[in-house]
Order: sequence, then structure tokens, then C-alpha cells
Amino acid sequence: MASKTVPQISGKLTKKDLWRMAVRSFLLQASFNYERMQAAGWLYSLLPALKKVKKSKEDLSSAMKRHMEFFNTHPFLVTPLIGIVAAMEENNEDPNMIRSIKVATMGPLGGIGDAIIWLTLLPITAGIGASLAIEGNIAGPILFLLIFNAIHAVLRFGGIFYGYNTGVKAVKTLRTGTKAISHAASIVGLTVVGGLIASYISLSTPLVVKAGQAQVAIQTDVLDKIMPNMLPLGYTFLLYFLLKKGMSPTKLIGITILIGIVGKFFGIL
Amino acid sequence: MLTEALLIALWAGIAGVDLFDVQLHIHRPVVSGLVVGAILGDIKTGLITGATLELVWMGMVPLAGAQPPNVVIGGIIGTVFAILSGQDPKIAVGVAVPFAIAVQALITLLFTAFSPIMHKADKYAEEANTRGIENINYLGIAILFVMYAVIAFLPVYYGAEYATNIVQKMPTWLTDGLATAGGMMPAIGFAMLLKIMLKKEYFAFLLVGFIVVTYFKLTLVGTAILGLAIALYDFYNKKSSDDNTQFKKEVRTNGI
Repeated sequence: MASKTVPQISGKLTKKDLWRMAVRSFLLQASFNYERMQAAGWLYSLLPALKKVKKSKEDLSSAMKRHMEFFNTHPFLVTPLIGIVAAMEENNEDPNMIRSIKVATMGPLGGIGDAIIWLTLLPITAGIGASLAIEGNIAGPILFLLIFNAIHAVLRFGGIFYGYNTGVKAVKTLRTGTKAISHAASIVGLTVVGGLIASYISLSTPLVVKAGQAQVAIQTDVLDKIMPNMLPLGYTFLLYFLLKKGMSPTKLIGITILIGIVGKFFGIL
Repeated sequence: MLTEALLIALWAGIAGVDLFDVQLHIHRPVVSGLVVGAILGDIKTGLITGATLELVWMGMVPLAGAQPPNVVIGGIIGTVFAILSGQDPKIAVGVAVPFAIAVQALITLLFTAFSPIMHKADKYAEEANTRGIENINYLGIAILFVMYAVIAFLPVYYGAEYATNIVQKMPTWLTDGLATAGGMMPAIGFAMLLKIMLKKEYFAFLLVGFIVVTYFKLTLVGTAILGLAIALYDFYNKKSSDDNTQFKKEVRTNGI
């Protein structure tokens, strides 16, 4: 797809430069701070290209200043944007256009990254790893690292070539593709979260109600008859609504510890 | 104990850097559990505790720059505690979380403290001093490494034996209660995921995932593949209907 769309560029940047920038992008958040977020790390990643294509000290200085402006995106998906911007800087495009492409793209890339990496790839691979490790199987962490980083590497190193080759065109592709990709990612993600709720929360009650001769175990005779895993699902949704009401996760941790201790003390949990 | 504490500090430094940079995700509890277990000579407990902590932190990811309780220190301290005290890994969750919250506050402080350094970076940019920009980034890495190493070293070196004593003196309703709470805590992670991801149109898929595991005992991989199948169907179904509407529109404009 990209082969036909290589833009007309002076060709000063080599494959090696692109690789070097992709490797540098590992340190995107090395100097993370609340004022500019990833700005200095972004400039650090872009330096191999800037040093090569900005010959005079004035040009290099003004480009470096421009790239010290606020920047924040998903750390795994930054390389397509590095590729695009490197291609534009190489071609001496209008600085304002470079800036607006940077700003317009970092948000959607951040959103896609959150959806497909933090909310889909990580829970699925870590969940699989944990499900093995919880039985004492050493393959758990190893499998997690292998799958996770195989995809990580493809995104990071593939992304820079994709970005560079498609140049400005990539921005359009990203914009139109954003919705469909995050929609599909949400479907997979939520199916897995549903499965996780059912398998990993341990919450049940040992309560037994005595009515004359009959004994009714609340968990096995009542709750499980209606629906197994009712309590884990119910508790997750309780926390979900509390979060939506604006309660902080830290408070929820406190509440959970309290429920655990009080529940155990009175023998309801 | 000094050697073990130093090794754990070294691992905490590496893992702490990995949380924000490089991000091979060797900092996740499921991996830290294995490493800390190997250092302390109990890989099995390490793996089980790491996996338990992993589930608690599942939904706690740095979305849009907001800092969740620190997963690096939580995973390491929790595993150290479970191995040295010989308690149920679920109790370790209750011990690890307060540490993790304290470190989260410290990280917030660091990100604030690093802001003024950006003005130094502006000056380097003005002077076209590329080396200066590089050094600022290397400085950030060094600060993270040292910070995490120190934070992990202190409680491991000074607190581990104490921790064992404290737990042995704790009443059983408290330790059992902490274990129960530990078992419930993955719900917090899942609720945080849901807060961000769940929309009305997606509720059906959550239910499907829940049902296939609850009633049909499908594995997590199977559930993921099922989700992928639905997503693919939806993706291409939508695409073809999009193409159709576009086609119709074109026909109409041509007709007029």
C-alpha cells in the first residue's frame, strides 16, 4: 500500500536514521513533566533527523525550539508521527503546517494507543500470563513478555517506516481509521473484561440460613441457582458506579479492605 | 539479607525506568513476582503473588497522564512480603497497596519538580545544543532509577523481618479479612477499565464474555478469540454497508 505513495523527498534521511529515531523513541518519557509532558523526549527522538537536515545553526536552533513545545501522545504509537514529521522537516515544509499536524495527530494517536494497548493488548496478554503464573507456572511471565513485545516491536519499528513513507498522507489515513479501529478494539477488550470478571474476582458468602429443619446455603442454594459469579459481577458494577460518581480509586481500595475485614469478622464473607 | 535487598533494589531501579521508558513491561507484577521470587529463593510463591497483584493492577494504567498507584513498588513489595512472611499472597495485596499509593504521590511530585528543567531545555534549544537536550533526558532516567532503588531497598532491608513478626501477631480475622479484600480487589481494576471503555452499545460484549466464562468455562484466550471474531464480523459488516450507502449516493447524484 505504501510503496506507491513515497513522497518526493530530497532523500537525505537513510533507513539507518529512521532506525535510530525509533530506538531513541524508547526514551520518549525520560524527562516527563507536567508542564511540557513528553516535549524534551520528543525532541530527543527527532534529533538524528534534525541534525542531518538542518545544516545551519540557525535552522537547527529554530527547529529545536519548535519541537520543545508541549507534546503528549501514546508512547508506543509515537513513531508514525516521528516518521511524518521527519519527512516534513527534511522537505522544509512550513513550520506552522508541521506544528498543526503534530498537534492534530498526537491526540487521536493517544486515544487509539490507550484503546488498543493499555485497554486491550495489556489486559489480554497480562491476563493470560497471570492465569498461568497463578498456578506456579513459570511460562506465565515469559509468554506475557514475548507476546506483548512482539506486538510492541511491530508497532514501534513498523510505525516509523509507515509514517515516513506515507508522509503527510498518513495523517488522513489515521483520522478516517481512528473510529473503526478503536470500535473494534473496544469489542475485543470488553469481551475479555467480561471473562476476567467471571474468572478472577473471588467473592462468595459462607452464610447458611436455618429455617427449622432445613438449611439453606446462600451461595450454593440461592445465588448460584440464579447466576454463578453474581457477587463478583455485582461488586464490579458497584465500584463502576462509585467511580462514575467521581470517587477515587484510592478510596475504593480503602472501602474494599474495610468490607473484607468487616465481612470476615461477622462471617458474611 | 543485604545482598538480597541490594539485588531487589537493582531490579526496582530497572523496573522503575521501564514503567515510563523502554516499556518492555518487565515492570508488571507478573514478571516482578518471578524475579523477586528468584532473588529470595521461592519462585513458586513469587509467581503466585505476582499473578495475584497483576490482576489488581490490571485496569490501573497511565491513561492521559493520570498516575495510578505505583505498579512497580506494589508488585515488588507485595511479593517480598508474601515470601518473607509466608502468608497467603492475597494478604500481600493489602500490604502492597498502601506502599504503592505513597510512591504514586512521590511520582506526582517528581513530575512537578521536573517542570522547571524544561526552561533549561529551551535554552539548549536556542543554542542548538543537542548534547544538552540528550543529557536532560539521561538525567531523568538516572533520577528514576535511583529513586526506585532506594524506595525498594529501605523496606526490604529494614522492614522484612519486622513484617514477619507483625503478621504473626495479627489476629486471624484481620489477616483473613485482608485476604478476602485481596480477592475482591481485581474488581477495582476491572471497574476502572469499564469506566473508560463501557458504552451502552458495548454492554452486550461484556455480557458475552462474562457468560462464556461463567457457564461454559471458556479460557481467557478462547474468550479473546471470540471477541476478535465478533469485532471482525462487525468491522467488515459495517464496511460493506458503508460502501453500499456511498454507492447509492453516487448513483443518485449521477442520475440527477
